[in-house]
Amino acid sequence: MSAATHPARGPGDRLTGLFWRRPKLLTALLLLPPLLWLGVVYIGSLVALLVQSFYSIDRFSGLVVPEFTLRTYGELLIPSNFDIILRTVTMAAAVTLAAVVLAFPVAYFAARHAKGRWKAVFYLGVMLPLWSSYLVKVYAWKLILAKEGIVTWAAEGIGAGNVLSAVLATPVIGGNSLSTSYIGTFLVFLYVWLPYMILPMQAALERVPASMLEASADLGAGGWRTLRSVILPLALPGVIAGSIFTFSLTLGDYIIPQIIGSSRFFIGQTVFSLQGTAGNIPLAAAFAVVPIVIMLVYLTLARKSGAFDAL
Amino acid sequence: MRSDGRPPLALTLAAVGGLLFLHLPIVLIFLYAFTTEERSYQFPPPGLTAKWFAVAWNRADIWPPLYLSLRVAAISSAMALVLGTLCAAAMARARFFGRDTVSLLVVLPIALPGIITGMSLRSAFAIGEIPFSTFTIVLGHATFCIVIVYNNAVARFRRLGASMLEASADLGANAFQTFAHVILPNLGSALLAGGMLAFALSFDEVIVTTFTAGQQSTLPIWMLNELVRPRQRPVTNVVAIVVVMATFLPILAAYYLTRGAEETAGGGK
Amino acid sequence: MTPAVEFRSVSRHFGVVKAVDQVDLSIAEGAFFAMLGPSGSGKTTCLRLISGFEMPSAGAVRIFGQDMGSVPPNRRHVNTVFQDYALFPHMSVRDNVAYGLMVRGVARRARLARAEEMLALVKLDGFGDRKPAQLSGGQRQRVALARALVGEPRVLLLDEPLGALDLKLREAMQDELKSLQQRLGITFVFVTHDQSEALSMADRIAVFSEGRVAQVGTPSDIYQRPATRFVADFVGSSNVLPPDLTVALGGPRAWASLRPEAIRLVADGRLTGTVTGARYLGAGTRLMVQAGAPPASIGPRADGGPTDAPRYLGQDENGIAVLVPAGVAVPEVGAEVTLDWEPSALHLMAGEA
Repeated sequence: MSAATHPARGPGDRLTGLFWRRPKLLTALLLLPPLLWLGVVYIGSLVALLVQSFYSIDRFSGLVVPEFTLRTYGELLIPSNFDIILRTVTMAAAVTLAAVVLAFPVAYFAARHAKGRWKAVFYLGVMLPLWSSYLVKVYAWKLILAKEGIVTWAAEGIGAGNVLSAVLATPVIGGNSLSTSYIGTFLVFLYVWLPYMILPMQAALERVPASMLEASADLGAGGWRTLRSVILPLALPGVIAGSIFTFSLTLGDYIIPQIIGSSRFFIGQTVFSLQGTAGNIPLAAAFAVVPIVIMLVYLTLARKSGAFDAL
Repeated sequence: MRSDGRPPLALTLAAVGGLLFLHLPIVLIFLYAFTTEERSYQFPPPGLTAKWFAVAWNRADIWPPLYLSLRVAAISSAMALVLGTLCAAAMARARFFGRDTVSLLVVLPIALPGIITGMSLRSAFAIGEIPFSTFTIVLGHATFCIVIVYNNAVARFRRLGASMLEASADLGANAFQTFAHVILPNLGSALLAGGMLAFALSFDEVIVTTFTAGQQSTLPIWMLNELVRPRQRPVTNVVAIVVVMATFLPILAAYYLTRGAEETAGGGK
Repeated sequence: MTPAVEFRSVSRHFGVVKAVDQVDLSIAEGAFFAMLGPSGSGKTTCLRLISGFEMPSAGAVRIFGQDMGSVPPNRRHVNTVFQDYALFPHMSVRDNVAYGLMVRGVARRARLARAEEMLALVKLDGFGDRKPAQLSGGQRQRVALARALVGEPRVLLLDEPLGALDLKLREAMQDELKSLQQRLGITFVFVTHDQSEALSMADRIAVFSEGRVAQVGTPSDIYQRPATRFVADFVGSSNVLPPDLTVALGGPRAWASLRPEAIRLVADGRLTGTVTGARYLGAGTRLMVQAGAPPASIGPRADGGPTDAPRYLGQDENGIAVLVPAGVAVPEVGAEVTLDWEPSALHLMAGEA
């Protein structure tokens, strides 16, 4: 042992020396397995999806023709298919807007007024529904919205049975019962994705210093004015982060409209039935590319606005 | 952000109302598991009984899906644990070219709808002529579980800071000793939390699974089939309760494991 | 004798930023050596070059004559007291101190006994079972010190060791560190931006400026005989006189420094001026004096160009700083005063061509 150094003992020390001389080597070694996985399994599959979407199906044999064509994408523009896309995007937008309105008081209260024990109650109160089983949540709404279920019972109990009937009689959004109407689909989407809006919104609101609100009040701004000019703009990154989830999840879901809703298809159901019973994988893939394109545009815009910091 | 001012009544009502909206439907499931009505979702239930728990226990078709779900969740969360931690460690180490791309790549599987992950894997299996198996299900689950572990680990790495690792090296520890004695003990609870959340997520996943399972049935797929073509509705209720409990416990545990830290588990599902 | 630490034209560049630029430095064994400079001057990078957390872009760092180019931090016989102490939060104080022995394979009983000895050395006996979070800032610093010393390093590095402590504690720790260093005989190298800390603790000081060493010397060298304008101004805020003014005040044509405390108020002296400001410091009062009748040479230059002379008249805009000791009558602002000093007090700066 020299005066200035300790001897290297074993491969551990020698590798440490190597990593020290080449710091990028260790970073690369750490990144290799996850990047390999995500690159091969995920990106590879996305590429496979893209490739499939440029194939087409032979009308007579029903077999996939592995040759490049834009015909499958052309089929998306057929009115019956394009309606599905429009219907899904409209639903996603409606759910996102409603989620913003419903999430705001919860997020605001949790960020600004809940303390100590209540803080934990609010946190868990949002986390538990977020993490509890998706299917169970959907199932619960099937119970609630069923014709013989609790909503009908409650509406009749308070003498509002005819109001419910009137709502269900509304064209387009109404239906035979709540569980077979767009209103039902909308409610369940809203319920299931709401926590995804509350959490990022709360995170963004928690970053607004109280002094800033006091400054606004100091300058003579009333409550509503402070809300509109100070709080909402500052909460915006959270809203955008949350909307990424609500919008994307609604675009790609096929189970909720299948279980609760009318018989008209959403993108997700179309993809699922095309790849399954219909065996038309190319068209299913082309349909699946639609939400990707929409979400990529959305993510690019969100990145520019700095919303990723709030994730 | 804190205020000493009392919240306006309307705000309190709206906030509490929002929380109730999130919880009441789940409570309802518990009630329905005891109903005597077998054919419809009648409310209020005409009578209460506990017999459905026994019926569910004796139904042979429930057990294989449960085992499959447990196996898939265990393998997927273990893989996600390794891959997510490695990725977080690399990101904590250095600013390198392509950092933003890596973080985007990790979030993408949950930022894009599950149906895309599912359909992509389905396309790849079709092209590669890969037969469906437990492995194909795990492939999908591990992919979207990585980000859960990653989010938990990356926050803890940030809190650990560079100087603690430097102090360890300064005192003579090599990279492996630093990992064993400093990184792992500080990261442990975050990893446990991340792993449990990943397990819960995988155990409950249905959308991606329907594309990657083929004829196999996980517990969520079994439930889905019961929802579409109900046989004994109260039995489904009993299974739903079991699933709720199986996901609640890891979440509660994850919350307590990461409580007090700046980050708390689960924000990034 | 081989120096404990030696820098041979060492540079560390981060892209275009030259954090350390061609530094030559030699630290003798057993020295209490200070690296002094403002933030961003390269002193901390130099410390990290010794510990091994930075690698030189060019040049060589030697410890006891051995080139460190291929020796990672964990194998250097050097330990560091980190600025934020970097104690391991999940370990007890005793385990923190014993850590360096544990990773080198010292048996449990032996290392814990040794840790207790070290805790006694820093006067923390009985604190071994606590967690770092249960200690005060001063106690944490002692733990960090004990932890760094347990492996008997040949060189101990201290990064702003007293920065996080309050004034009273800082003064106590200064004395303690000094006596500890004398007792152990280990070479101490510490980084600080506080000139009084460097002057009182170190036996040698290197003053850093913009990645380079502006001057190395004993505290009195640095204080009394600054080599450059930067050193004169940064260490003790001396009056910096440009060559023209030095000539006007009776010296040769060269940059000079004049300590505020070397200037006396007299009835008849070398320079007269008007008091433009006064700052009470407790132990004295610092006056700013505007030269009332400036010599021709610090007026507008003969060629009509702008003169930069006033900027170097002391640390403030254009006055000369004078320290009036307590007990001497302080003239009012606006009063006319005459200043005088010993000719030897006018120090010519060799580092300024």
